[in-house]
Amino acid sequence: MNTVTLFARLKLRLLAGNLRGDLQRKLGFIFTLVAATGLAAVGFFLMSLLRFAPPDVASELAVLAFSVFLFGWMTVPLLVFGLDDTLDPAKLALFPLRTGRLAVGMFTASVTGVWPAAMLIVTFGALVGLASSAGGWLLGVPAVLVQFALCVVASRLITTSLSSALRTRRGRDVLAVAALLVVVLTQLPNLVLNSGFGDPAALLHRMTDVLRWTPPGMLAHAIADGGPAGLAEIVFVALLVAVLAWLWIKALNRALVTPDVSTQAASVRRERGLADRFLPDGPLAAVVTKELKYIRREPRSRVGWFSAAVVTLVLAFSMRNLGVGAGLPILLTSAGALMIALQSGNAFGIDGRSLWMNAVAFGSERGLIIDLAGRHLANAMIAVPLLTVVGVAAGLLTGSPGSILPAVLAGWGALGIGLGVGSVTSVVLPYTVPERMNAFTGAAPGQGGVAAASSLGATAGIALLILPFVVPLLFGLYWVCVAAPFYGLLVETLGRRLAAKIGFPRTPELLMAISKPT
Amino acid sequence: MTDAVRTHGLFKRYGQQIAVAEVDLVVPAGSFAGLVGPNGAGKTTTLSMITGLLRPDGGTAEVDGLHVWRDQVEVKARIGVLPEGLRLFERLSGRELLLYNGRLRGIPKAEVEQRAGELLAVMDLTAAADKLVIDYSTGMRKKIGLAAALLHNPSVLFLDEPFEGVDPVSANTLTEVLRRFTASGSTVIFSSHVMDLVERLCDWVSVMSAGQIVAQGPLADVRGGRSLNQAFLELVGGSPQDGETGLTWLGAKPRA
Repeated sequence: MNTVTLFARLKLRLLAGNLRGDLQRKLGFIFTLVAATGLAAVGFFLMSLLRFAPPDVASELAVLAFSVFLFGWMTVPLLVFGLDDTLDPAKLALFPLRTGRLAVGMFTASVTGVWPAAMLIVTFGALVGLASSAGGWLLGVPAVLVQFALCVVASRLITTSLSSALRTRRGRDVLAVAALLVVVLTQLPNLVLNSGFGDPAALLHRMTDVLRWTPPGMLAHAIADGGPAGLAEIVFVALLVAVLAWLWIKALNRALVTPDVSTQAASVRRERGLADRFLPDGPLAAVVTKELKYIRREPRSRVGWFSAAVVTLVLAFSMRNLGVGAGLPILLTSAGALMIALQSGNAFGIDGRSLWMNAVAFGSERGLIIDLAGRHLANAMIAVPLLTVVGVAAGLLTGSPGSILPAVLAGWGALGIGLGVGSVTSVVLPYTVPERMNAFTGAAPGQGGVAAASSLGATAGIALLILPFVVPLLFGLYWVCVAAPFYGLLVETLGRRLAAKIGFPRTPELLMAISKPT
Repeated sequence: MTDAVRTHGLFKRYGQQIAVAEVDLVVPAGSFAGLVGPNGAGKTTTLSMITGLLRPDGGTAEVDGLHVWRDQVEVKARIGVLPEGLRLFERLSGRELLLYNGRLRGIPKAEVEQRAGELLAVMDLTAAADKLVIDYSTGMRKKIGLAAALLHNPSVLFLDEPFEGVDPVSANTLTEVLRRFTASGSTVIFSSHVMDLVERLCDWVSVMSAGQIVAQGPLADVRGGRSLNQAFLELVGGSPQDGETGLTWLGAKPRA
């Protein structure tokens, strides 16, 4: 009990400490708080609405919801920005704590927070929605708690067992693949739904037939059942949670004593530099050369590029059955372009603390304009051929070669818009990208809200700026795509200049925001 | 002769805590100056504000008579910086880092390549030139950082703890390069805890304590016949007795 209160207080103290003296972080935290409260209220309400559905459908929906929650707990911390502010076990390694106590503490720390509380409330909604008998109410409370524990332990197990691998440099490169798998997995339901199963009720029935026997499905069923069978199910899952917790302790043990063996250095090839062949000698060529190297060598950029490619590919499959026909290539290429451009929504994040080297070299706004231009140029050197391939392939595969040209042009335009908007968010809402992607956070502790606001802002800005093209395209006026690349270039130029105007005077603040401790 | 660095009432606070309180730092041109002080005295904050990496809450800073925050173009061309912590572009090799840095400042590529080659040779980094900076040791990082700071031939060099965590061989290389640099009339300002080193290298010393300059001048004046370490301890008010009170348990053998 002592350990529990100690770690809960430590976590709260850390959360509070992160908010001290920084308005942006405070706003970010308020944003998180509002979002989590909203989720808790809406989720609880929706779950309790199950009461008014026919009992068998309600039970099936709850089975599905519980499975989705578990899947979400396992994957979301790997994907979404800043939801996982948990402690790094390595920081506690030198304290004389038994691993069991450490595990209890880490568990406490992971359930102390805004999002876990919100999820617990949502899960309790199922109790209101499902329990029909006295036994159901009685079994429901432990069922919900076991479900919550299952989610937390499974999530911890995954991050901990991966974190030891991710301390090494090679491990981080493997992450590129791991993150991709997760991206593909999250798109799986999307694929299934779109491949035309027809009747949603029948589909739900077929899915829950399987999910019913998974641990979260058993818990949901136990609440609805409320009898001895339900009790047996809860006991079974509780035992499973204990096993997972034991595995987690083992993983924690290993993570704490496994050293980093990644210092065997290899030389890099000395190259003439692709950028120097067509760019005049100067700062611009220097930035492009450096950026191209970073895209290739920095795992965080690699992950970004690979996941943009994979998401586009998955979108292609899931949109196949949407019936957009000739519009599909245009939609797909633009979506791919936006996925690529969104990586630049926090352009300086990956540079992090090393950005001082640029800061002491740039004496005026011009420096920042050139820096952003170089980054965009390096991005476009890869993105433009890639988007061309996507457009051509989509056009050929959908049997509408006529839409290839508008698709490719629209993709280039969308890329420009994305880069333009991204350069503004990069200077207005910068945040630190952790060096060690240990717990897979996208931002430093306490900056999750800023990161979320940044990507929301970028999405909103892009949506607004893309409107002049969406409307004519909806009416089938594909010729507007001719103007897209020029429009994109215009937005990119204006966005870059605006970003430099805002960003240059804020250089010290920008440096601070992207070099927070992680 | 103008001073290389002159600050006036430089001030910085973090929330309630005042990190730098009205610092008037003066460093004459051509000197090899040491900025000494205990941990938390505000040395790093002061240097960051003079080099334009941190915005002061009050006061002014001048480098070669130019206002740091108003004449940024001229000031930034004149200064070389080696900040604390030394985060570099990790995924570039040492040579690529120097090339990037030089070209970013508008020096032609051929010229940068020649200077980078010479700097790498002097710093004894030629063998490691094509390894990624992420795999460098602390000493190597300080050396490549110093090379990057020297590349554009600055007239004033700011170094934050350049000798911390550096092995004696690398430290010797660093001091040799810095001596040559000041001999040509340029200015070096570095912060350090190591009094012996400051005493050996510097001809000008500024002592900071609790966010203020408590003594400043030519080394001989600040020292006043004592060793610099002695003078320093008296200036910053380090406890003269060796902590006889308390700590009685320390070193006591636990009874079985």
